[in-house]
Amino acid sequence: MERVRTYECMCLLDNREVRKGWDPLKSAVTGMFTKHGAEMLSSKRWDERRLLYSIRGQQRGTYLLSYFKANTQQIAGIRRDLQFSDVVMRSLVLACEDVPAAAYEPEAAFDVNTIPSEEAPVAGAAPVAQEPEITSTPIPGERTEEGGGA
Amino acid sequence: MSSFGNGGGGRRGSKFGRFGQKRPLVLPAEPLDYKNVAYLGKFLTPNGKIQSRKRTGFSGQNQRQLALAIKRARFLGLMQFVGRA
Repeated sequence: MERVRTYECMCLLDNREVRKGWDPLKSAVTGMFTKHGAEMLSSKRWDERRLLYSIRGQQRGTYLLSYFKANTQQIAGIRRDLQFSDVVMRSLVLACEDVPAAAYEPEAAFDVNTIPSEEAPVAGAAPVAQEPEITSTPIPGERTEEGGGA
Repeated sequence: MSSFGNGGGGRRGSKFGRFGQKRPLVLPAEPLDYKNVAYLGKFLTPNGKIQSRKRTGFSGQNQRQLALAIKRARFLGLMQFVGRA
């Protein structure tokens, strides 16, 4: 039975591709949905942030949140395309009942040149403390290897 | 008859019963959504484990939603699998 549902898709995009241009990249990702007959409702940048663990060697990533209507039979194909894509590092496609009003708001201006580099220090992070040198002080009465034998 | 050293009184008749005192259910203050990372982070232990129902106070349904949201956030790199954020 064919049925059309509303879906939400969160994509984690590679910042190396984002730096090449945001609009072409966004079109490429939304093209993966429309290729399977999906009707795009909204697609906007959610955030650019540091990842909690390294994914494909990247410490930072840009999230794209999309809402679309698609046939339930086409979702497997959309998931497969996202999984095989080089620009999408992670994707999560979920069925949703309604689209939040915030999704229809216009996307804020995004300058790809403002993306911090991978080597940039984390904002607000405390400087790494130098480990104190461990000096071995002899404990009185402790047996040493040389003098421990009977 | 053995009292096992508890004076023979046991917990019979105690208001705490066998499983302790019944606590009122806690409702989530914010939606349990994987995008709501700041709120979900409150339900992790310092090692990054999901807190139990005993600690969150959620109903079974909300606890399952919490666990699912945290796992989705972990998958997307929004939350840590282990350790501090």
